[in-house]
Amino acid sequence: MMDDVLKFATFLGEPFAEDFMLQAFVIGSLVAAVCAVLSCFLVLRGWSLMGDAISHAVLPGIVLAYIAGIPLAFGAFASGLFCAVSTGWIKNNSRIKEDTVMGVVFTGMFAVGLVLFSRTPSDMHLDHILFGNILGITTAQMRETAILSAIVLATVLLLRRDLMLVCFDPSHARVIGRPVKTLTYLLLILLSLAIVAAMKAAGLILVIAMLITPGATALLLTKRFDRMLALATTIAVGSAITGIYISYFAAASTAACIVLVQALVFVSTLLARRTGASADQSNSSLNK
Amino acid sequence: MTTWLTPFDYDYMVTAMWTCTLIGAVCGLLSGFITLKGWSLMGDALSHAVVPGVAIAYLVGLPFAVGAFTSGILAAGAMAFVKMKTPVREDAVIGIVFTSFFAFGLLLISLYPSPIALKTIIYGNILGISPSDVLQVVIVAAICLVVIALKWRDLLLFCFDPNQARALGLRAGFLHVLLLLLLSATAVAALQAVGAILVIAVLVIPGATAYLLTDRFGVMLLLGSALGAITSLVGAYASFFVNGETGGCIVTLQALVFLLALAFAPKHGLLAGRRARRSAQNEGALS
Amino acid sequence: MPTPAAPRETLTLEAAGVAVTYPNGHTALRDASFRLDGGTICALVGVNGSGKSTLFKALMGFVAPTRGAVTINGKPVRAAQKQSWVAYVPQAEEVDWTFPVSVHDVVMMGRYGYMNFLRIPRAADRAAVEQSLRRVGMWEFRDRQIGELSGGQKKRVFVARALAQNGRLILLDEPFTGVDVNTEEAITALLRELRTEGRLILVSTHNLGSVPEFCDQVVLINRTVLAYGPTATVFTPENLIAAFGGALRHFDFDRSTVNDHDGRQVTVLTDDERPLVLGKKGHLEYLDRTGRQELIDEREKEQEKK
Repeated sequence: MMDDVLKFATFLGEPFAEDFMLQAFVIGSLVAAVCAVLSCFLVLRGWSLMGDAISHAVLPGIVLAYIAGIPLAFGAFASGLFCAVSTGWIKNNSRIKEDTVMGVVFTGMFAVGLVLFSRTPSDMHLDHILFGNILGITTAQMRETAILSAIVLATVLLLRRDLMLVCFDPSHARVIGRPVKTLTYLLLILLSLAIVAAMKAAGLILVIAMLITPGATALLLTKRFDRMLALATTIAVGSAITGIYISYFAAASTAACIVLVQALVFVSTLLARRTGASADQSNSSLNK
Repeated sequence: MTTWLTPFDYDYMVTAMWTCTLIGAVCGLLSGFITLKGWSLMGDALSHAVVPGVAIAYLVGLPFAVGAFTSGILAAGAMAFVKMKTPVREDAVIGIVFTSFFAFGLLLISLYPSPIALKTIIYGNILGISPSDVLQVVIVAAICLVVIALKWRDLLLFCFDPNQARALGLRAGFLHVLLLLLLSATAVAALQAVGAILVIAVLVIPGATAYLLTDRFGVMLLLGSALGAITSLVGAYASFFVNGETGGCIVTLQALVFLLALAFAPKHGLLAGRRARRSAQNEGALS
Repeated sequence: MPTPAAPRETLTLEAAGVAVTYPNGHTALRDASFRLDGGTICALVGVNGSGKSTLFKALMGFVAPTRGAVTINGKPVRAAQKQSWVAYVPQAEEVDWTFPVSVHDVVMMGRYGYMNFLRIPRAADRAAVEQSLRRVGMWEFRDRQIGELSGGQKKRVFVARALAQNGRLILLDEPFTGVDVNTEEAITALLRELRTEGRLILVSTHNLGSVPEFCDQVVLINRTVLAYGPTATVFTPENLIAAFGGALRHFDFDRSTVNDHDGRQVTVLTDDERPLVLGKKGHLEYLDRTGRQELIDEREKEQEKK
């Protein structure tokens, strides 16, 4: 009996004994935290499509960087930023709505990336770029991810009040002399950096989920911005560890598992809140 | 000379080209509505959300269109439900739902690996499309064409001014659902041609290009449809020479046409805008 | 106020030949010039599409004039903003009321200009926020999320933010839309106090009725500045008709049914389509009663039947 329990415990603890799994836990948590912090701003600013767009638009940059022999992160970053800037420029200079412009720009860039990729002989796997390969991460990539994450996290946390002000009331920010444009571009730069950092772990497609869901879940739970940041980060890191852990046993796509755990947390928060909210409602109707 | 005609010697290329033309035409037609309604994110979402449905359909041997369509409708329903229940912005809700669906699809594919299915769903596989899948695409496209041909005026009014549509006794809720159904259906058809990730492109770019070129909605619809058809035909043809990356070719071509229109459109292009601004300033200097 | 920017010098706002042409070629404003000094409440009056909001945006530096310049105390707008001189009270529709910030957070945003790089509030900032909130009577609500307030309370919070900022030029965009009469009076009283402190208060409004009651000066706009100066000399029927063109319906008592009742000549101006004008006994007045009396009689009969 005791033996069985011990065996079971060893079985459950197995993922923590493997080096590559430990590495995955660390990287997964780091990436999740970075994305979660940014997701708070994206959700409040109404920029979900922007996250979607930049993450797709990164692809041609990766391929071009590979061809040119420079670090992929540079290409990805430049390409993502180009998408954001050109979207803004086309929107300001034509009659087309912003969401349409974004749809045109990012899909166009992604398509160019696909064509370039198919014309370029390489040992890269498109699947790994799009859907992540957290278990096959190299030490160099790990260092790169850690550095990028640290930069983004530190910048956001230091400047969070200004960034929040720009999301909440850009007019006021402008009027008190804050550089609204610079801060907006800073947010876009941070977003691109976060996507580049998360690329290896989550893949370009699923990073969108990590850039939206934690912030939205936290928004359901609190009405204070700082608390929202903390909650989103906690939820995202928790989900990442749980997701990676599950994927070990299910032998399933790690990124998909992380995203699904985050989605489950969102749904259960939503349902729990609903019962709470209806209780609130009956209370307030009693008060009336 | 022969090399340029080589694609026509292969049956699969001919099939691919006419199927792509049909899909491009239908998507281009619908893209007029999507552009005006500001539903780009919705289109993107639905095209990603069909993935688990297709995966399941391939696993259990159902027609892929049935699985994809069901999955798309479920996603649309989930979005409507979540949006109703939360203070979270609509764009975030859409983002959460479609990424969850997509992740679920990937999970299924990773659990039951079959590389053909993944390639077909994510990147499209029109060159290797099976006859039964062609039939499904044709049926879906034909239904969409007929519905749009019958209902385009109502849909236009709904996109332009839902309140007026309601006031006229049109059921706005019904039209909303109808447009969603059309969107899901075209996404299902386009999936085969360009793959889940690029569906949104063929559902947005032709309409946006046409919008730069005309101020008349009827013209815009036809122009969008024609652009969609031609670019898809040429893209499919070109993909013969580019390792079979059909979706990438079609969308790259569409993006190029869009850029041309953006620069040179007679009234709404960048150059025209610059001219207008300059003449307005000159006028200001004179007065 | 315990704020450090103590010596309260008034400032001057000047627009010189401002023209704004948008990227689509539309010229919203041309050759707009006026000059205002501190210690006054000024109304910016014009119909929709008159370039009123464009001028407002130019004053806040949101759009750059294609010609001419806006200066505050002789400095460009940007430089004045860096000094936290300019405060802005937005329209209710501009604000995302679901944003997770409290009343206290919002008012603290007014202090950002005085804080260091990391925006960590000091005791002086907290004191300024408390004082401002108390002054508008919203201190008790400081921990509420901003969406959980009434329309008037929301407006007062944003006025408090302008106070906490110690703005010397305060811009209010349509401050009285969606606000009840009591709040309107409270805000008006507060603005008059702020005026006596030497601040320059600029109110964009199409609520003509309230202008003579609380504004000292008026700037009239229709694609350019038509007239500006003291309310008494500028806010005249002739100028208003020029400013509002065909958009302004006026109710001319001279030709109306009101003369049948008491013979005084009054003109009611409004940019509403159909002004409500009540006579001496509280009855409705018309420019032309033909066909309308029957409607009234009909309504009365309907009432009686019930």
